[in-house]
Amino acid sequence: MKKIHIVGIVVIAVAIGVIITSLKNTTSYADFNEAIANPDKEYHIVGKLDKEQPLVYDPKINADEFIFTLIDNKGLHKRVVLHKNKPQDFERSEQIVIIGKMQGEEFHANDILMKCPSKYNDGKPQIQ
Amino acid sequence: MNEITYIGEHIWIGKIGNGFVVLSFVASLIALIGFYLSTKNNEYLKFARNAFYLHAISVLGIASTLFVMLFNHYYEYQYVWQHSNNDMPMHYILSCFWEGQEGSFLLWTFWNVVLGLILQRSLKNEWEAPVMAVFSLAQVFLASMIMGLYLGDYKIGSNPFLLLREHPEFANLPFVQSPNYLEKLDGRGLNPLLMNYWMTIHPPTLFLGFSATLPPFAFAVAGLWNKKHHEWQTIALPWTFFGILILGVGILMGGAWAYEALSFGGFWAWDPVENSSLVPWLILVGAGHVMIVNKNKGGSLFTTHLLSIGSFLLVLYSTFLTRSGILGAASVHAFTDLGMQGQLVLYVLTFILLCVALLIDDALIKISYIVLSVLLGYFTVIYGYKKIAFYIWTVVSIGLTIFSYKRYFPKEKDEEELYSREFWIFLGSLILLLSSLIITYFTSIPVLNKLFNINKAPLKVEDYNLWTVPFAILLLILMAAAQFLKYKKTNPNEFYKKLRLSFIISVIFGLACTIPLYFLKDYSDANRLQKWNLLSYTLLFIFGVFAVLANGEYWLRVLKGKISKSGASIAHIGFALILIGALVSTSKKQTLSKNTSAKKVSSLGEGFDDQKSLFLEVGDTLPMGPYLVTYEGKERIGIDVYFKVNYFTKGTDGKPEFAFQLQPKIQDNPRMGKAADPATKHYLNRDIYTHITAADLNITNPKDKDAYTTPKNYVGHIGDTIFASNAIIVIDSLKTNVTEKEYEKIDSLLEVTAVLKAFNANGEVFKAYPKYVIKKTMIIPQTDAIDELGLKFSFWKINPENGSVEITMSERVNNSKDFIVMEAHMFPYINILWLGCVVMAFGTLIAVIERYKKLKIKTDSIGA
Repeated sequence: MKKIHIVGIVVIAVAIGVIITSLKNTTSYADFNEAIANPDKEYHIVGKLDKEQPLVYDPKINADEFIFTLIDNKGLHKRVVLHKNKPQDFERSEQIVIIGKMQGEEFHANDILMKCPSKYNDGKPQIQ
Repeated sequence: MNEITYIGEHIWIGKIGNGFVVLSFVASLIALIGFYLSTKNNEYLKFARNAFYLHAISVLGIASTLFVMLFNHYYEYQYVWQHSNNDMPMHYILSCFWEGQEGSFLLWTFWNVVLGLILQRSLKNEWEAPVMAVFSLAQVFLASMIMGLYLGDYKIGSNPFLLLREHPEFANLPFVQSPNYLEKLDGRGLNPLLMNYWMTIHPPTLFLGFSATLPPFAFAVAGLWNKKHHEWQTIALPWTFFGILILGVGILMGGAWAYEALSFGGFWAWDPVENSSLVPWLILVGAGHVMIVNKNKGGSLFTTHLLSIGSFLLVLYSTFLTRSGILGAASVHAFTDLGMQGQLVLYVLTFILLCVALLIDDALIKISYIVLSVLLGYFTVIYGYKKIAFYIWTVVSIGLTIFSYKRYFPKEKDEEELYSREFWIFLGSLILLLSSLIITYFTSIPVLNKLFNINKAPLKVEDYNLWTVPFAILLLILMAAAQFLKYKKTNPNEFYKKLRLSFIISVIFGLACTIPLYFLKDYSDANRLQKWNLLSYTLLFIFGVFAVLANGEYWLRVLKGKISKSGASIAHIGFALILIGALVSTSKKQTLSKNTSAKKVSSLGEGFDDQKSLFLEVGDTLPMGPYLVTYEGKERIGIDVYFKVNYFTKGTDGKPEFAFQLQPKIQDNPRMGKAADPATKHYLNRDIYTHITAADLNITNPKDKDAYTTPKNYVGHIGDTIFASNAIIVIDSLKTNVTEKEYEKIDSLLEVTAVLKAFNANGEVFKAYPKYVIKKTMIIPQTDAIDELGLKFSFWKINPENGSVEITMSERVNNSKDFIVMEAHMFPYINILWLGCVVMAFGTLIAVIERYKKLKIKTDSIGA
C-alpha cells in the first residue's frame, strides 16, 4: 500500500468521525412537546411571541433574565426564561428561535435568534 | 383607462441602462461562442475578443448608468429609492451601489471584466481561447443575474433599472396614482448599520477576491480542455496568489468590521456568510501550494486541478447559500430572497457539469453525460421531482469523475518520499481541503435539511472552535517544517537538526506563557471537555510560536534575509500570528460585566452560567473586573444615542483614578429598528469592549421631574406582582360593595376596589385602592396614588372570562433614574491577530510580485 492511500484513509476516517461526533452533539429544531419528552436535551424551538402574555424584564433585579411566552409551531404556549438580556426590538420580531432545555413547566433558554421583518426589507414609498 | 403622465421621471436613463444589460448579456454569449470556436479555429479569435470588449463596455455602461442615477437621486427607480436618500453624504453613494443584490452582482461582474481584460492581454498562445471561454461563460451567468426577464413563471435575474411604480410590491400603492409623486418622494436610504467606512472598502475587496478565484479555475479548465495538465500552472501561479491575497484581506476586513462596529462580541462568529467566503480561500491556499510543488517537481496533479476548480465552485456555492434565501434564520446577514434560487442552482451545476465533462476523454460517454444532465434538468422543470433528479445527477457526476480520473488522468509513477517537501505540502493542502469540506458540511445544514427532510439546527460557535483547533495545529507543524525539507528527498536527521533550536525555544516559551494562562486557575475546576480544550490550546500556542520561529529562521538563515524570496516565510509568520492572536484573545476573553447580584443559574447546565450583563444607574459606581465604572449620561446626535461610560482604575492610594471614557451607541432608526454599536478602548496588550444591551433612548427634560410617565398596562390575577422602578406591587385582593345578585336587583352602582400592596426596597409597605366603578353601563375608573413612592394606579378593566384584572401604573419621572444594561469584555492580545493580518498580507504580496516577475522572465526568454 502506498503512503498516499494511508493518508487518504486517515482523511476519510477523520471526516466521517468529525461528522458523526458533531451530529450527535448538534441539536435539532423541535417543538415544545419534544422538549418536554427529553428534558435533558437541548433543542432549538421555533415559534412566535405570545403578545397577550406579559414580558418581564427587570434589569435592576436581574439584567440577565427575561421572561416571555412563546407559541411554538404546533400552537403550544410555554413560558420561556431567557438567561440573557432582553434583545433590542424584541416586540417587533416576526419569528423567534430559542435554544435551551425544558425544566418543569418552563423552557430555559441560553440564546435567542430573532427574525425581524424590518431589518433589511422594510418601508414603503410614502409621499409626505 | 387613461395613462397617467408622470412628472419629472427620467425614463430615458433606465432605457439606456437596460440596453446595456441586454447588450452585456448578448455580448458575453457571443464571446463565449467565439472563444469556443477559436479553440478549434484561430480565425474566430479576433471576433471573440471584440465581443468580449463589447461586453466590457456594456458592463461599464451599466455601472455608470447606475451611478448617475444614484448621484442624481432618481427615486423613480426602485434600486435608487431603496438604497439611497437625500441626506446621504456623497461618499456613501458608493456603498449604496453595492448594498443590494443587483449592485453586488454588478460589482462582481465588473471585477471579472477587469481581470478578464488583463488576462486576455497577457495571454497569447493556445491558452487565450479556452481561458476566455470560461470567463465568458461566467459572465453569461452573472449578466443574466441582473436581467429581470420573465420566462413564463420563471424570473431570470433582478433588474436594477426597474421603476418603483412597476415593482410588484409597490405597484398597487396609492402613490402610483399621483402624477407628481416624485416631487415629494425621498429614498429609503442605506441601512444605517452599514453606514461606515468598512462598507466602502470591504465589499469591493471581497468581490475582487471572489473574482480572483476565476483565473485559477479558468486555467485548470483550460488545462483539461487542452489536455495539457502541467503548463498552465506556471501562468496561473501569480493569479492564484493574487486571489489568496485579496480574498484573504477581504475576509479579514469583514472580521475587523464585525469586531469594531457590530455587537457580535468577537471578530469571527462562524456565520454561514463568513464561512462561505473562508472556504474558497482555504481551498485556494491549498491550490497555490500544490501548484508550487507541481512547478518545481511535478506530482499532485489531480489535487491541483481539484483545488483550483473547487475554489471557484465554492465561491459559486457560497453565492447560492447567501443569496437564495435558503439560510433563512441561520444567518444574520444573508441577503433577502429575490426568487433566484433556481437560477443560482443552475449556475453552480453548469460549472460542475463543465468540469466533469472535460475530464471525460471518451466522446460517447461525454456526450451521454451531457445529454443525461440536460434531460434531467428538462424533466425537473416540467415534472418536478427535483430532489430525486438531483440525487441521480450527483451520483452519476461523482461516479464519472472517479472513473475518468482512474481511466484518463495522467498519474505520477513514483511514490513521494516521506521526507520531501512535496509530500508535506501535499499533506497541508489535504488538511486545508478536509477542514474546508467539514466547514462546508456544517454550513450547509440548512441545505441538507431541505434535501433530506431533516431538521438539524446549525452548529454552535464553540463546536466549530473545538474541532478546528486540531486542524490548525497540524497546519502549523507543516508550515513550520516543510520549508526545511528539500524536494524529492531529505536526510531526516539533518532535517530534525535544523528544526531543533526553534522547537526547543517554542516549547519553553510556549509553556512559560500557557501555564499561567491556562493551568494555574482554569484547569483544576474544568470538566473533561474543558480540560481537553485547554490542552489543545496549549499545543496550538506552542506550535504557533514554532511556526513563527521556524519560518523566521528559514528566512534569516537559509534565505539570508532576502526580501524578494521572503514571501512564503513572512506570510506563514503572519498566518501563525493570526492563529495565536485568535487563540489567546478568544480563549482568554474575559467578561468584565458580571452581574454579581444576580442569582446563579449554572445549575441549568453549560451555557447558562455566563452572566454577562451589568445594570448601571446614573450616579452609581460599580466595580467591574479591575475597573470601577460609572454611567455619566447620554447624548443624542441624529438617530444615534451615545452613552457615556467612565472607567476608573484603583489608584495607588486606593482612590479611583479616571482611566478612560467609552461611548457605545444605540442607533435608533425608525425603519430598521435599534442596533447597538460597541465602543472599544484599545491598549497595546488588550482591548476593552463595551456595548449597550438595554437602555431608555428617550432623553427626559429635567424640568418635568414631577411629571408622571405614560401609564403602562398590567394584566394579572390576585397575587400577581407588578414591578415598579422603586417598589414591588402585589395585587392583594379585590373587594366589591355589593354581591352579584344585589347588583342585578339594584341596577345602580358596582364598585370593585383593588387592594394593592407596595413593598419598597426597605421593606416598608404602602397601600393603594384604585376603584373600578360601573354605573349602569358606564365605567368610571378611579385613580389612586401612593405619594411616598410616586406611583399612580388606575383600575379599568375586569376580564370575566378568565378573572383577570387590568391595572395601569404610571411613575413619577424622577423615580426612575436613567440606567443602562451593558456588556463589557476584555480581549487580551488581540493586536497579535491584527498584526498577523498585516504581516500575512504583506508576505503574500511579496510572493505575488515575485511569482509575477519570474513568469515575466520566463515568457520573455521564450519570446526572445
